[in-house]
Amino acid sequence: MDRDGRIMKVLNVLLPVFLALLFGAVFIAIAGENPLTTYATLVQRSLFDFRGLMQTLHFAAPLILTGLAIGISFKAGLFNLGVEACLLMSGLFVAVLGFRLGHLPSPVLIPLLLGAGILVGILTIIIPALLKAFFNVSELVVTLLMNYAVILLVMYLATYVFRDPSRGYISTHVISSNAIFSRLFGTRLTLFFFVALAVFVLAFVIYKYMRLGYEMNALGKNLQFSEAVGINVRWKIVTIMSISGALGGLAGAGWMMSHAYAYTPWFSTNPGLGWEGLLISLLGSESPLGILIAAIFYGALKYGGYTIARYTSVPSEIIGVIQAFLILFLSIQFIRRHRLLDRFKGWFKTDKSHTEEGA
Amino acid sequence: MSIVQTKGITKSYDGFMANKNISFQVDEGEIKAIVGENGAGKTTLMNIIYGLLEPDEGEILIRDKPVAFKSPADAIAHGIGMVHQHFKLVPSLTVCENVLLGIEETRNVKLGKKTLKTPFIDYKKETRRVQEIIDKYGFNLSADTRVRNLSVGAQQKVEILKMLYRDVDIIILDEPTSVLTPQEIRSLFETMRWMKEHGKTILFITHKLKEVMDVSDSVVVIKDGEIVGDMPKAETDEVDIARRMVGRDVLLEVEKSRKKRTEDVLIYEVENLSTVSDRGVEVVKNVSFGVRRGEILGVAGVEGNGQTELLYLLMGLMRATRGRVRFKGKNITNRWPKDIRRLGIGIIPEDRYLHGACKELTIADNIIAGYHNTPELCSWGFLKKKSIEERRDSLIEKFDVRISTKEGLVDSLSGGNTQKLIVAREFHADPDLLIASQPSRGIDVGSIEYMHQSLLDFAARGKAVLLISSELSEVMSLSDRIIVMFRGEIIGELDAAKASREEVGLLMAGIEQKGSASLHG
Repeated sequence: MDRDGRIMKVLNVLLPVFLALLFGAVFIAIAGENPLTTYATLVQRSLFDFRGLMQTLHFAAPLILTGLAIGISFKAGLFNLGVEACLLMSGLFVAVLGFRLGHLPSPVLIPLLLGAGILVGILTIIIPALLKAFFNVSELVVTLLMNYAVILLVMYLATYVFRDPSRGYISTHVISSNAIFSRLFGTRLTLFFFVALAVFVLAFVIYKYMRLGYEMNALGKNLQFSEAVGINVRWKIVTIMSISGALGGLAGAGWMMSHAYAYTPWFSTNPGLGWEGLLISLLGSESPLGILIAAIFYGALKYGGYTIARYTSVPSEIIGVIQAFLILFLSIQFIRRHRLLDRFKGWFKTDKSHTEEGA
Repeated sequence: MSIVQTKGITKSYDGFMANKNISFQVDEGEIKAIVGENGAGKTTLMNIIYGLLEPDEGEILIRDKPVAFKSPADAIAHGIGMVHQHFKLVPSLTVCENVLLGIEETRNVKLGKKTLKTPFIDYKKETRRVQEIIDKYGFNLSADTRVRNLSVGAQQKVEILKMLYRDVDIIILDEPTSVLTPQEIRSLFETMRWMKEHGKTILFITHKLKEVMDVSDSVVVIKDGEIVGDMPKAETDEVDIARRMVGRDVLLEVEKSRKKRTEDVLIYEVENLSTVSDRGVEVVKNVSFGVRRGEILGVAGVEGNGQTELLYLLMGLMRATRGRVRFKGKNITNRWPKDIRRLGIGIIPEDRYLHGACKELTIADNIIAGYHNTPELCSWGFLKKKSIEERRDSLIEKFDVRISTKEGLVDSLSGGNTQKLIVAREFHADPDLLIASQPSRGIDVGSIEYMHQSLLDFAARGKAVLLISSELSEVMSLSDRIIVMFRGEIIGELDAAKASREEVGLLMAGIEQKGSASLHG
């Protein structure tokens, strides 16, 4: 890529971030604080303080995975918006298994649960994947809508089937201590972060050096071309959607075992780790390295919400405001990059387009 | 007297100069050919004159008066009409209704001295007026025939009729011959001459030199957006025009040694192959043929008669409903594209940027596409970067692909060079059969020459070629045998050495002759 292209790419990411922070600053000013000192506090506490940095990385761990889950599907031209669903399903089932199989020793139980999370993630996404591969049903629509069905399903299971009646609110039983990632260096950081980091390395290698990465790229750039030169498009769609679902599931399992410990309605917080993965994938330009950096930035922002509330008079909700602006500004370039408008227009295409042709 | 004149027309898109300082004039009542290779800027220039595009610089004068068109409606009001390469007709309406679409005649009601317009269409009057024009220009059409029942050639006449009804003096024809059979082309030329006699001026866009010499009075040659020749036909010839178009001497038709080099070994057999389109229409019907080693089998036909679907079937992109395909004795009907390639069939697809190459991938990624799974390029799921780069460099050199940077995207290559890249990839795999569809479409004359020579050399090495092309001269000059497709069927088979253009042309139009139309297989 030429130099101009690279500069544009960096600008494409930095500009939305800058604008979001700028608009956030307005609201901080309204709250009666100096935006600069507030941001300085945030950066200082989240990134330049050992315990703070560990907190940041702890928050970043599931986001790296959900970011990669979405990034991988986008790379192949598939729009898996069901990462949140995978994460919720996996979270619930890992919570249940982590309680029921609590007698197993940690070295057995933890890998088992991570594996179960991956499996649940794949099983969740397999239906839209097969529909896409064999019947060309839009995965974007199916996965998007599936989230709402899964939210209700999981809510039902947590409320009526797996509920811990001894708790005063909707919650499953707390998982066994054998299923919990132990904290490292006396901070919030757990091994889960390193699991996420390993997945990042794997994704990086696949993208850069492996056949699968090449095929994903070709698929994403031109489906008909890929098919014509002999890539088995159906099988690849199923494979890539499954990888995406697996990563969503892994994120859910890890978050359960390193942070939540029981399934509650606010397990995935607001707006949801899967949705934040979408944001991170966009922020990281869908490249593994970019996603890693974006996830850590976002983790810093999340943890920063708490510190800001603690050290200044700005409420922690300000982070939500910045998030919202970030989503807004990023979606502008997202729509442009994936020519989503064309895609939607395509659904309403009538014979009119023929008369325009050749003009 | 000049009827249209352009002065210094310049138009650029994103820094690419499609037209550079174009100045020329058209005399009243002449047929002026605008020639140039695809992408030379002919269509851009015509779209500017027709008001579809606005020039960045320069002006257009109609009868020495400067004009600035904002839309085709302005152009029509000034007497300029255009017939596009792709027709814009409503198949379910009649000729007359198509002609009057948008300018319908309404019934008027007289109330005393005033005439009131009503929203009702006066069909009788419309039909009469359209028929008058049809008869005046000798179009051999009936105003109340439905367009869907007309042949392509007749549909084109309806398009011309639309312009004549709007009383234009200048008619722009954009590549009008590309969809016609040789007979229809001749009829079109007669119409053009007839229109000229009625005082019309015609701007005729083409890249076929024979047609220029046939019908035009003068020629403007465009290369890379600039005029490189503007002369009366009498002062030029095909070789001269070709040289100007390309910028060097070109062999217009490759010499094919007609000596029999075909071995009598059938390598590829297609039997009763049929398929239906998404809309349930049988688009390929009972197609049977065989290709021998060392032979080039040409598939001729007017575009849209099932050649594309046949190609998709043979590529493995469409499923056959009936019939069989056998390669080296092995049944390969409905196999995946991957398997077809692995068995030794190379494919140069019809749509270069859809199935042949991917613009947004790098040159290296395109070179290995389809072969990225072979042990030379990939082991244990890891791509061998070094081998890939070596292959890219050697193929670029061997096939003389002109590029600005090796790391670049295919998007930066011209059509001809992209085609060379595809040829390089397919030839490198050393297939035994090459299926080439419209191999010279949209590429420059120099690359066409190269393309044709490659196909002949390939066959001379004892390999087989299936050449699908709607360019009749290409099929005629390269093939050993020719089969002609019409409405999804093979309507006849000819020996290329003995067949005349007329014979093939009749078959392309669906007219079977006794004797020559013996079906093979």
